[in-house]
Amino acid sequence: MKGRYEDENLYWIPVLIIFVFLLPFILKGLSFSYKYYLFVLNMAGIYIILNVGLDLLSGFTGLVSLGHAGFLAVGAYTSAILVDQFGVPFALSLIISPLIAGLFGFVIGFPALRITGMYLGLTTMGFGFIVKRMIIAFREWTHGSGGLDVSSPMLFGYTIKSDWNNYFLIYTFVIIAVIVGRRIAKSKIGRAFMAIRDSEQAAEAAGINLSKYKMLAFFISGIFAGFAGVLFAHTSSFISTDHFDILLSIYFIIMVLVGGASSIYGAVLGTLFIVLLDNLFVPLLKDQIHFWFNTQAGDIQSLIFGLIMFLFIIFQPMGLYGMWLKMRIYWKLFPFNPRQRFT
Amino acid sequence: MTDLFSGLTQEIISGIALGSIYALIALGFTMIFKATEVVNFAQGELMMVGAYVNFFFVTTFLSAAGTPTAWTFLVALGGSMIFSVLFGYILDFIINRPLKDQPIFSIIMATLSLAIIIRAVVAIIAGPISLMPFSPFGDSTVTFGNIVVSLLDLSIIGSAIGLVIIFYYIFHYTRWGIAMQATSEDPIAAQLMGIPIKRVYALVWIFSAIVATISGILLAPRIALLDTTMGFLGLKAFPAAVLGGFGSIPGAIVGGVILGVIETVSMGTLSFHFQWIKEINDIIPWIVLIAVLMIKPNGLFGVEKVKKV
Amino acid sequence: MKRVMGTLIIIGLLAVGCVKRAPAPGVTDTEILIGNVQDLSGPMKELGAVIPSGSNMYFKYINDQGGVHGRSIKMLIEDHQYNPQKAVAATKKLVEKDQVFCLYQIIGTSPCEAIRPILSETGTPLIAPATNSGTMSDLSRQAGDLIFHTDTGYDRQAEILVGYILNQNSDAKIGLVYQDDDYGENVLEGIARAESEHEITVQKESYQRGAIDFKGQTMNLLKGGCTDVIIAGIVREPVTVMKTAEAMNYKPNFFGTGPTVDARVGKLAGSAGEGFTATYWAHMWNSDAPGAKLYRELCEKYDIPEPYIGLYHYYGFATAQLLVEGLERAGRNPTRKSLVRGLETLKNWDVGSFPPITYGRNDHAGVDKVQLVQMQNGEQVVITDWLE
Repeated sequence: MKGRYEDENLYWIPVLIIFVFLLPFILKGLSFSYKYYLFVLNMAGIYIILNVGLDLLSGFTGLVSLGHAGFLAVGAYTSAILVDQFGVPFALSLIISPLIAGLFGFVIGFPALRITGMYLGLTTMGFGFIVKRMIIAFREWTHGSGGLDVSSPMLFGYTIKSDWNNYFLIYTFVIIAVIVGRRIAKSKIGRAFMAIRDSEQAAEAAGINLSKYKMLAFFISGIFAGFAGVLFAHTSSFISTDHFDILLSIYFIIMVLVGGASSIYGAVLGTLFIVLLDNLFVPLLKDQIHFWFNTQAGDIQSLIFGLIMFLFIIFQPMGLYGMWLKMRIYWKLFPFNPRQRFT
Repeated sequence: MTDLFSGLTQEIISGIALGSIYALIALGFTMIFKATEVVNFAQGELMMVGAYVNFFFVTTFLSAAGTPTAWTFLVALGGSMIFSVLFGYILDFIINRPLKDQPIFSIIMATLSLAIIIRAVVAIIAGPISLMPFSPFGDSTVTFGNIVVSLLDLSIIGSAIGLVIIFYYIFHYTRWGIAMQATSEDPIAAQLMGIPIKRVYALVWIFSAIVATISGILLAPRIALLDTTMGFLGLKAFPAAVLGGFGSIPGAIVGGVILGVIETVSMGTLSFHFQWIKEINDIIPWIVLIAVLMIKPNGLFGVEKVKKV
Repeated sequence: MKRVMGTLIIIGLLAVGCVKRAPAPGVTDTEILIGNVQDLSGPMKELGAVIPSGSNMYFKYINDQGGVHGRSIKMLIEDHQYNPQKAVAATKKLVEKDQVFCLYQIIGTSPCEAIRPILSETGTPLIAPATNSGTMSDLSRQAGDLIFHTDTGYDRQAEILVGYILNQNSDAKIGLVYQDDDYGENVLEGIARAESEHEITVQKESYQRGAIDFKGQTMNLLKGGCTDVIIAGIVREPVTVMKTAEAMNYKPNFFGTGPTVDARVGKLAGSAGEGFTATYWAHMWNSDAPGAKLYRELCEKYDIPEPYIGLYHYYGFATAQLLVEGLERAGRNPTRKSLVRGLETLKNWDVGSFPPITYGRNDHAGVDKVQLVQMQNGEQVVITDWLE
């Protein structure tokens, strides 16, 4: 049912792509502080790439990961070290570093063959800590916890600097990632993933090689996260272990779930929702609310953020994408609304 | 050699004390998971609220009574208990009721956002300055030979063991406990058998809030400065709950103690004798945990659920 | 030739006119906007409340007197939860959206490192970053010429401490307990320099941010026979380590780096904290230095609540003095450049809060010496002169 609705109306995809590339010009025309908005959008873009991969892993295959900040860190540090210390060109690092992150995913896939559910969540959380520790231990390359300066990306002889240029770089890859993610989800692999999520036994009985597909899910997810990591490192030009906190991993899973798990568009929407809410709307809203301004501003900010999230979950437990589908079906079937449809 | 031995014994004892802290928090996780299959990410925050409320009661009674006596602490403890019962009930009301028929993940997400809300609300009410909690035991210690344990640590170990026994009894030998088990097994069937599952859920949350409050009260003096980041300790206790097998009450204490001992010994003797351990000593608990899960995917005491196709 | 000269003069006049008509961002006829990014809801939220409160107190005092060149100072505070990525977002907001004139006192080493690209892109100066890390005053780093650091680096503090300990007792076996993050990294740098200088080895024990138990580390120090222990922590760490050591009947001399000067260390540690010695790079807030006296007067005048008053609140106040001095020197029509130039003219600037500060083209380091503060009978007593 869902599949049929998703596949029709392909015409709006090019419109959306054009809109994505026009957006910076619109923002520039509208506001002098467009660089701030672009920065937040860039951050969201990087997280979208990661979350598409996380959605394939957690949403489609049902393997919970609480350690995706670890994959992000692997990609970021690998690329920073390759480019700045071994002189590998950025374009090449863009291929190698995600593969290395993917290999890490492969390694984490091994425990996933036996461990499931929250136990797996915890294993991946442990992976996040182990990566952080490894980064500190390899001091010669990573400067330990002091952080590492990273050069700006160089593509075809151009150095890409400033939020404006980063936006186009990042969103080109966001579009590619979303398209690739959707292709994977719609392919045989994606169907196998969903079969594993719904019932491992049934999937196995249907001839799906569980270990192969679980490892593959982690590998693909690692590649997406590694890719995001490369872009993250080179566009933010400074990385440290503080960037890749356990809380970030938890945020990622929140983003995917708020969007509505097991839909790529859901992951995109959820990421945009949380990142924009946390870094743009709530700080701006807080400026409007001037009370307790000086000392308690941070608490007010997290209170607003928490409340919006909470109310959202209470009233829209299916996530943003579920909300959208509900709305669409409501209008399609207008006078004959089956009320219990998605409640 | 004796030096090494006594050092190790001391570290193991300290590790057990530290592990009991984890166990206390893990117990709260475990109970909610056992009955509702929800991972309550706000568990650490419940504990933090308990610590703050108890601090509030203690200071109020102290200023009323003047000198601190055992009674002040006991009355404050009673007040905090009453509060935690109410708090648990309210949480059940705002989280479990509206999300009753939703996927478990929505409830987990709700607990995550609840954690953010609780931290913010407590910070707004209590102000930004950290509090200096009182310990009813002061700094007094007990010495056996050349092994030193503080009285506070002993009380933490004692209450961890006590609570585990009490809740084990409740879950396995009382009507309500068996109702809880039935609910966790299959809520719909349980409801059909006449079990009031709404009340069962409320009870579980109340129990969990009580455990959280007790652990908060005991932990607050242990961490010297009380602020809202105390809630993050929940994340440290999460592995303990999982190692013991999520949903197993004795598992919580075993998992907690194992992790506590590993942490102390690897920070201590191991890294003293092997320099390279120093580079990795804080991830040793994680490595052990992953290794254990590889062998026993449901934790040490976890029960493997029979999956039906 | 005359024509050329004439054109040049006209262009010059126009340029001057333009400068006058288009002031720097954040500067209006009545107000100067300052941006501050603090940890308001993360692990250091307490400092996030206390430090800006101290700064605001001094700004209020200045504004009540008519402000700087007739402009009052207004500080905007954003939250970064000790996350560098959020710090960048918050700084972007301040610089691009709120158009602040300069940044001031951003807390934490990695947040400060992460915002360097913004500083160099927009030319916004950062005055008095609230971290002791020595990397802040490194001019070779990106945007190094825009950052004015006030505090003695952690690395310098550790070096001075080792020197002091060896001076007291040349056979001392020194142990170090450090936080395993950017703070500890900087301390380790200083320790490594001291090790090679004095040809000693320091026994190093690490802990994680947020750790609550220090038994293992304390046991190791005991086994290693350390007679002097440097604790690079904040408040909870020195207290717990000293209490644990006392319970084990292990009594080395305890030392601490800058953040441990907090008066609560002594209060919480009780008898175990007796004799604890910490480095401090400014005058004590309760000392007789003129800056400290003014501070206490202002605290009384503006009714600052009692728990706020102390080390960190005073730190906010003292750095605010530096910022105001910089703004004074930036001239009637301040630009970001003139603020940098103004601060670089400071020569032995001394209002009695910090020891004399000298900045220059090639020196943005501020204070580089410390005094030692010891716990004696529950009171903090300064026991040494300024050590370099």
